[in-house]
Amino acid sequence: MPQPIITVTDLSFRYPGADQDSLRNVNLTIEAGDFVTVIGGNGSAKTTLCKTFNGLIPHYWHGEFAGSVHVAGVDTWDSSVTELSAHVGYVYQDFHNQLVRPTVRDEVAFGPVNYGLDDHEERTSSALETLGITELAQRFVWQLSGGQAHLTALASVLAQRPTVLIVDEPVAELDPERAAVIYERLATLNRELGITIITIEHHMEFVARYAKSVILMADGTPAWHLPIEEAITRTGELEAHGIPAPQSINAVKALGISATPRTTEDAVAAIRASGKKPSVHWSGIAHLATQEPNRDVVARAVNVTHGYKSVSGETHMVLNNVNVDLHDGDRVALVGGNGAGKSTLMKLLAGIIVPREGTVWLGETNSRSKASPHLAEHAAYLYQHPELMLLKGSVAEDVALFPKDRKHPDTDALVAHILDRVRLTDFADRDGRTLSGGQQRRATLAIGLAMRPTVLLLDEPTSSLDVSSRDDVTHMLADLAGSIRCTVVATHDMQLVAEWANRVIVLSEGGIIADCHPRELFGSPQVLERAHLTAPEIVRIGNALGVAPVPLSVAELAAAYHGDGPPPVPTATAQTSALGV
Amino acid sequence: MRKHHDVLSVEWVKLELIRTAYATRGGLFSTMDPRMVVMWYLVLAIVPWFTHNLTVLAGLFVLGCISVGLARVGPLLLGLFVFGLIVETFYVFIAAWLFGGDTQTVIALVELTLKLGAVSLASMAAFVSLDPEKLSDAMLAFRMPQMITFGVSYGYRMLPILIEQFATVFEGYRLRSAPVENKGFLGWRMITQWCRLTVLSFYPIFLNTAKSVRTTVESLEARGFTYAAVDGRGRQIRLAYLRLTAKDWAVMAVTLALIAGVFWFGAQFPLYR
Repeated sequence: MPQPIITVTDLSFRYPGADQDSLRNVNLTIEAGDFVTVIGGNGSAKTTLCKTFNGLIPHYWHGEFAGSVHVAGVDTWDSSVTELSAHVGYVYQDFHNQLVRPTVRDEVAFGPVNYGLDDHEERTSSALETLGITELAQRFVWQLSGGQAHLTALASVLAQRPTVLIVDEPVAELDPERAAVIYERLATLNRELGITIITIEHHMEFVARYAKSVILMADGTPAWHLPIEEAITRTGELEAHGIPAPQSINAVKALGISATPRTTEDAVAAIRASGKKPSVHWSGIAHLATQEPNRDVVARAVNVTHGYKSVSGETHMVLNNVNVDLHDGDRVALVGGNGAGKSTLMKLLAGIIVPREGTVWLGETNSRSKASPHLAEHAAYLYQHPELMLLKGSVAEDVALFPKDRKHPDTDALVAHILDRVRLTDFADRDGRTLSGGQQRRATLAIGLAMRPTVLLLDEPTSSLDVSSRDDVTHMLADLAGSIRCTVVATHDMQLVAEWANRVIVLSEGGIIADCHPRELFGSPQVLERAHLTAPEIVRIGNALGVAPVPLSVAELAAAYHGDGPPPVPTATAQTSALGV
Repeated sequence: MRKHHDVLSVEWVKLELIRTAYATRGGLFSTMDPRMVVMWYLVLAIVPWFTHNLTVLAGLFVLGCISVGLARVGPLLLGLFVFGLIVETFYVFIAAWLFGGDTQTVIALVELTLKLGAVSLASMAAFVSLDPEKLSDAMLAFRMPQMITFGVSYGYRMLPILIEQFATVFEGYRLRSAPVENKGFLGWRMITQWCRLTVLSFYPIFLNTAKSVRTTVESLEARGFTYAAVDGRGRQIRLAYLRLTAKDWAVMAVTLALIAGVFWFGAQFPLYR
């Protein structure tokens, strides 16, 4: 019989100055050795709940606290953050800010050294080893990639040997492939060391695959706490809380099979077992037919080579002899692993930097012949982190900066129109930094639109967004065609590639290894593997079932299995055409 | 025509600052015990203020130059130093001339320039050689409050990130502002715009940093930062690696001997004592 490790009794909490309780009458038991996922919409107090487990509430955040929380038999009210941190480790959503020391080893040793523990060296080494990042020990924290930084943050709390580990939205700041690595490690910690894992998560794909039980938070209280097998069957309820079911479950449901697969493999097995076969009429050509030749070239890179100096003084080449033409009407997804040169190529195509060798043409202009602020009128580049683009005191001022400074005759009307278009009119006077992640993305999109460029280049527009904000941005991108002639998106988000792009360029080892329609890319496992890309679940299901051409959405899979007649128009196209492409 | 530049570009300044802060170039003092480096620095920083003899000051200045060579100070810092020195010299003569001074005024100003120069050279040599951890540990060893020593190392940890953010914000601001059509005499319009944007770029960076600090503070609390301030064991563990070796003493001894030599030489051939 498992022992409860965390017991919450009649807990209510109100932040100082707030006019209502964040947590209301929470009763909850978490058993030792469980792998719990806390899900729920924005503002459902998931993070607040988790902060009561390590004593930050009530000892750091003083507010109105009623009820009790016991962790490993200790009443948190009578304890302290110091004492509780020996039991509970916490990895933040913005884990970059949690790293306080210059090198990885120092960072991991920080806790044990502060507590003056004699075995601090052994704790540090074993934490690094458990997570497989021993070779990073001497690195500076600012040199780490997102995934490595997350593992470092994880190691630094692990070095304090907690019995409970809380990880707040690991997927938010990481691409899916790296997030999967984190989840694998968490699963190992749970299985081999018996550490109780609590994660906060939006992505049901990960929940379904790794969690043992699920807590659904709604309005500051748990709606239910159920074993995973039961939790994933309640798709309707989840949908109502803004948590869409994973594609594997939707795929099975769309084919009318009653099963709740937790992984892609389960879904494939369930579909196979049902004896259904893809229709011979399935052609999936709706997408392929959209390519018409002889369209205008809006930007062109000719034999471009570029690289950077590193701190040690060597030149590290990122792009080698790259040639690419961007056409009118292209919706380009630029994909490839970290460091493959996506951002560099985009900055070259925007004329922000000039290549070491080769030429970039923006329309008829050689990018070397004009200063970058001139070229910004032709090609606008939107940075990955919205907060670095929010330069003014309000969203409206930020959007107006470009047209106003360049004396656009009708700036006010233009700004009003654009804000309306990205649905931020109500937030026009707010400081962009106080907006939610999704709103911030839309604000940067508005900034880009106000530049009225021919080519719009966006760096990771859907990263660190929850599922519904993500879909929002995807739809807005699809809606751009009317005003932007060519859009380029650098992304790790393969679902965005599948649903939005009509052309995908794969960068790897300094060159372009594929330049084709997404369907073609997802149909070639060798290219995916070479570029370290993971196709969306639905594509993997389609490939495993041998559906060719491979379906890019659940609706397409359903169409492929639709026995009679030509398939209905796939959803992605349906969405875009509805938005006036 | 625009060209890619490896030196004298924003990217280069960034790399140079990082190289300087993290003592990546190595050099004599970076292999020493940080406590000795700090003491060595204090000696060289204090001594020039005890003399008015230009010979001695010139000697100390030369010692400073040698230290800078041994510490492998990078081109950015040296360039800034030399630029500062030239401007200063220029200014000395203009000041003396404008305010009707004579040789005495010039000499007094030259003396000050030499003193400041010698101290700056020693500072460059010492702080280029101390990476953040060593500096902060040396301060901790001298019983400075933990808040300050942690602040030093945290500041260094943030430096590369802040530089990166600054570069991005500045670049974004420049792209979104109207280009300067007519650069003006010596490009003064361009320079004015750059200065204006530099100041404006700090605003978003301050706000972003303020927003992100909350997590940092919570994490510090959870990982025993305040606990360590009360409990002394953490300090002991952190400083356990510090060892004064023969090399440390030798460098100190040689430095003291050279300073004594310079003073002796100055006494033999005094200039404007």
